[in-house]
Amino acid sequence: MDTAKKNGRSDEILLEVRGLKKHFPIHSGFLRRVTGYVKAVDGIDFYIKKGETLGLVGESGCGKSTTGRTILRLLDPTAGEIIFDDPNIGKVDLAKLSRAQLKRVRPNMQIIFQDPFSSLNPRLTVGQIVGEPLEIQKAASGQALRDRVAELLQEVGIRPENMTRYPHAFSGGQRQRIGIARALALNPKLIVCDEPVSALDVSIQAQVLNLLEDLQEKYNLTYLFIAHDLSVVEHISDRVAVMYVGYIVEMASTEDLYYHPKHPYTEALLAAIPKPDPRKRTRPIKLPGDVPNPANPPSGCYFHPRCRYAEDICKVERPPLRDIGGEHWVACHFAERLQLQGVTRLNEIPLIELPKRQAPVPAASPAS
Amino acid sequence: MTNAAATGTERTNIQIVSEDDVVRVEDLRLSFYTSLGVVRALNGVSFNIPRGKVLGVVGESGCGKSQTGLAIMQLTFGRIEEGRILFREFNTSEVIDITKLEKNGPEMRRIRGNHISMIFQEPMTSLNPCYTVGHQIEEAILLHQTRDKAEARRRTVDILRKVGMPNPERIADSYPHQLSGGMRQRAMIAMALSCNPTLLIADEPTTALDVTTEAQILDLMRDLQHEIGTSIMFITHNMGVVAQMCDEVAVMYLGRVIERAAVDDIFYDPKHPYTISLLRSIPRLGIARGQKLESIKGTVPDPYSTVPGCPFHPRCPAAIPGLCDTVMPEEIFIAGSQTHTVRCHLYT
Repeated sequence: MDTAKKNGRSDEILLEVRGLKKHFPIHSGFLRRVTGYVKAVDGIDFYIKKGETLGLVGESGCGKSTTGRTILRLLDPTAGEIIFDDPNIGKVDLAKLSRAQLKRVRPNMQIIFQDPFSSLNPRLTVGQIVGEPLEIQKAASGQALRDRVAELLQEVGIRPENMTRYPHAFSGGQRQRIGIARALALNPKLIVCDEPVSALDVSIQAQVLNLLEDLQEKYNLTYLFIAHDLSVVEHISDRVAVMYVGYIVEMASTEDLYYHPKHPYTEALLAAIPKPDPRKRTRPIKLPGDVPNPANPPSGCYFHPRCRYAEDICKVERPPLRDIGGEHWVACHFAERLQLQGVTRLNEIPLIELPKRQAPVPAASPAS
Repeated sequence: MTNAAATGTERTNIQIVSEDDVVRVEDLRLSFYTSLGVVRALNGVSFNIPRGKVLGVVGESGCGKSQTGLAIMQLTFGRIEEGRILFREFNTSEVIDITKLEKNGPEMRRIRGNHISMIFQEPMTSLNPCYTVGHQIEEAILLHQTRDKAEARRRTVDILRKVGMPNPERIADSYPHQLSGGMRQRAMIAMALSCNPTLLIADEPTTALDVTTEAQILDLMRDLQHEIGTSIMFITHNMGVVAQMCDEVAVMYLGRVIERAAVDDIFYDPKHPYTISLLRSIPRLGIARGQKLESIKGTVPDPYSTVPGCPFHPRCPAAIPGLCDTVMPEEIFIAGSQTHTVRCHLYT
């Protein structure tokens, strides 16, 4: 299964983001004058190859959702380029497209939202919700539309008979499946998954993650997977980017990032994962203070006030994101010098086998 | 039932089996009467929390874990149909059955917030936005501990310092909106611990927090628990947090405790198919990469319906036809163990 997935991946780049910025103005006073900017995303660069999953992690408020939405132009970027390799048009800079031009590119890029309870219109039936993208793009109508919707629902594991029901009749996991069906409707190339499983229970979370992996394999999808749960990201991603206050601080293959981190923030983040093994109780790395306010970030490297390896240069100069070899990108002055601790593999804890199904017992015999 | 005389006689008859338990819940049944029908939230929950230990209560949404916590505090809107909640304070031999107390009676109010306190999931909404953090902590101290305002203020600053607030005097004078999520949760913990409770009920205290903040809060709770000796009932759905925090674990499914054991046994020797499936469905660092996660088929049944037999049998990979779908398994001890119980026909 792993190799099959890897085969579908190429070195061609589907999406490249260069110097992307999104600043939100702060209005205050009687005249609502702009008195400052929240620099939610402040100049980030990354790329996603065709068929791979790039995980985007970071704490709340670090700008990861803003990044996802800006890429799809659900928010307009303040600066930067978003170069998308559209199968029909070729490479286009999404940041410069007009509304009409965007509409032609949009079928190839879709989004799955975090909250399955607010991202489906309660006044539309499931059939209407899933069929809406097809109608907007005039891709199908009448019986063809109904057939396509039925096929999509089947694909995500919802019975097509449920087409006429409303979202309230479904559980959280089922609603998330409906959201996935809607995103799939136009055969997109890129799907931005904005925390698709964080609102779900553990057992349902596994079902949805498996579904996302199956669909990726089947349709050769490319995912930008935004999440804060580091175990989930490790499971699903080929490469991972870590954000801190509107800036990517580290980006590498999942293996490299989790086991050989090069940025002190990544190290602290990894140390904080609660490991499901009672024999390995860990103490977190103490990060003094709070995440800085993106409207008033510190000087130099944004992480320096909380970094235990910080030196004088960190206070004045912001380190650029640079490749230190093997597609391992780090924004730290001392990336080569620091010896940082990655996660420990939870290999010793056994995966318990499930008990096998027992022979039927005659209904009359009670439990002993 | 709830008058003083009845409570008085009741008390003398009750024996807590182990001298070390602070709380013993026995066959607790709780229902909600709604316009759509009766929801049986708890169907006979039994467990005990030993003195100075952390009991983890895990399960998926709707399994009744939060309702169990609220029932102990007598804060639930549901009706307690049956069962007992026996509670013993620090340094007393007196045992109180909480279900016999009047919800807002003087005795319940003496216990609530003083001997048993609670931390809620949402640090954003469980503090009153109109009062300073210090005022809200002082309120609990003035109500239960001392009448002296200056003394209450001193204790408030003390407890805020204890939970690791950088500038406790200033924090005491700030309003909740001026603090970050992690700081608010620290303030909640400070408030809950201000009266040195015998039992602390923590209902998903870190679910709304970021992973680095979560690790710090867990660390803090562990330290304070060692220092004060409070027992903690830790309600969560995160198995990682359970492994890091708890001494004992009760796994709940549809209003019943289906497995109970020491934390090491739950992770290294789980018995109930639900516990095993739950553990297999979490992504593990370094193992499951590139492999399919195992999921439990189906979903938790609708709360208005009742499932005959074992509530897990429709989703169970090892269900025995003719037995699991008709007979409810009893809670039994695993052979050779004094602490590990399971509710499953596979082990009878």
